[in-house]
Amino acid sequence: MSLTESAPPKPAPIQSLIARDSSPKTHDPALHSLALQIQHNLQYQHNWTTLHIHTHSPLTGALLPRPLLSGLPPHRLYVHPDEQIELLKEADRVRKVNKEGETGTLDVKAAPEPEWILPARLSEKWTLRRLAEVFDGVSKVPPKEDGKVGEMSKWRETKRVVLATVDTDSTVVYYIVQDGVVKPRQN
Amino acid sequence: MAPGSPPVQEPFPISYVAGRYLLFDPPTVAYARRTHNVIGVLVGTIPNLSQQNVFLGIPLELQPEEARVLVEQGHAYVVDDAVVHREGFLEMSRDDRLSYLRDLDEQGAEMSREVVLRANERSEQVLWEKGLRPSKRGGDSTPKDVGSSLFDGDEPTVPAVKVPEKKLETTYITPTTSYPPLFKPQPSHAPGLPEVPKSFPLFRYLHTKGYFMMPGLRFGCHYSVYPGDPLRFHSHFLATGMGWDEEFDLLDIVGGGRLGTGVKKAYLIGGEERGGKKVEDTFTSPTPSASSWNPALRPNNKEKMKKARVEVEPVRAFSIEWAGL
Repeated sequence: MSLTESAPPKPAPIQSLIARDSSPKTHDPALHSLALQIQHNLQYQHNWTTLHIHTHSPLTGALLPRPLLSGLPPHRLYVHPDEQIELLKEADRVRKVNKEGETGTLDVKAAPEPEWILPARLSEKWTLRRLAEVFDGVSKVPPKEDGKVGEMSKWRETKRVVLATVDTDSTVVYYIVQDGVVKPRQN
Repeated sequence: MAPGSPPVQEPFPISYVAGRYLLFDPPTVAYARRTHNVIGVLVGTIPNLSQQNVFLGIPLELQPEEARVLVEQGHAYVVDDAVVHREGFLEMSRDDRLSYLRDLDEQGAEMSREVVLRANERSEQVLWEKGLRPSKRGGDSTPKDVGSSLFDGDEPTVPAVKVPEKKLETTYITPTTSYPPLFKPQPSHAPGLPEVPKSFPLFRYLHTKGYFMMPGLRFGCHYSVYPGDPLRFHSHFLATGMGWDEEFDLLDIVGGGRLGTGVKKAYLIGGEERGGKKVEDTFTSPTPSASSWNPALRPNNKEKMKKARVEVEPVRAFSIEWAGL
C-alpha cells in the first residue's frame, strides 16, 4: 500500500474544461483559458446563464483585443440611479393601488439585463488606451445568439463592461466599468 | 458677494507668490466660486498665534489646476507679485513717492495724537478718582477738550500732583496693502500659464462639465469631484488622471473602485486620448439625463463654456464601481 502506486487524482473540472476546449484559437491561448475560467466561475458560482465567448467585435467584425464574455446574471447587476428613482416611484404607485399603505413593502422590479464581461488577470498592466480599445469593440448591449442586438432599455446610455479580475489563487472580483462620467449608484 | 459690492471685473489678477496662486480680494473669491466653480482653499490666519485660529480667511490659495483653467478661459491672469512690487516701487515717480510718504506720515501723526489723547484721558480719570483733581469737569472730558488742554496749557485747574506731559512721538506706519499705492497690475505682466501636474487634462474635462474639484488626498486620488458646490453636495467621484499610455495595476482599479463604492461614490480614471479617432462628440455632447440634476450643466451654462476655450485634446474617462458579486 505504497502511496506511489495509487492513481494520480483526477484533474479539477476547470482544468479538464480548459483542456477539452476545441474552439478556434484566435488569440493567445492563455487569454482563451482565462475567458473559460471566468465563464466557469460565473456559471457555477454566480448562476449566470447564456454565457458566450466573443472573439470578434459585433460592431465592426474586427478581432477584439481579447476574448470577451457575455451573459445574463440571475438578478439585475446594475441599476442607474435615475432608473432607480423611476423604479421606486413605480413600486410606490403599485403599493398604493394594492391599498397596502405604508406597511406594504416596496417591490422594486428590475429585470436582469445581459452584460459584457472583460476577463483580466491581476498581474496584468493596463492602460487607458487598452481599456478604450475594449470599449470601442463592444456594443451597448451584447448581441443575442443570432448575432442581433436586442432591444435596449432607455437607461443604457453608456457602454458598460464588467471587469472580472482573477488572482493566481483563482479568486475573481467583479467591477463595473462604464465608458464616460456616470454618476454613482445610491445604495 | 454682497449685493452692494461692485461687480468683479474680468479678467481678474491672480497673485503668484512663492510658488502659490493666491486671491486676496473677497469679492473675487466669491465670484470665482460662484461663477467659475473654482473653490481653492482659504489659507490666511492671524499673524501670530496662527494655531489658535479656527477659521482661516483670505488669501485663498488656488490649486495650480484651478489657476490654469481660469487663465486658459480668459477669466483671470497670473501676476508675479514680487516682480510687480519691485518694478512698481522702483519706477514710482518722485512726486508719487513723496505724496505717498507724506500720506504715511500724516497717518502716523494722526495715530500719535490718538495715543496721547487716550493717555491724557486716562490720567485725568485716575486723578479725579483719587480726588486729586478739584472738580470733575462733568461729561465734557471729550478727547477734543483734553487735547486742546494739553496743547494750550492754559488749564485753570490747580493740580496737586504734577502730571508729566506726554510728548507727541511720531509713529511710523508699516503699510499693510500695496494696492494702493500701486495700481492694479495689468495682464501684460502675466508670466504665462501655470505649471500643472499631469492629471490636469482630467481636471479641465470635469471642470468644463460643470463639476467642482477638491483635493483628493482623503480618498487617495487626485480630485474629489462634486456635482455642485461642495457646501451643498456630496462628491460623486474619486478621480485619478493619468496618461493615455501610462500603465496602471488592476489592483489600483480594485482598490479605488471598492473604496469609492464603500462611500457611495464612483472611482473615475481618465486622460487625454492620444492618436484616437474623433471623440469630439463625447467631449462636447450634453448628457441628456444628467442635465437636470446638475445646475452647472444647464443650457445657459453650456453656451458659456463653449467660448473662450483653448484647443485641447479630447479626454476619455471611465467610471468604476464594485459589481457586488
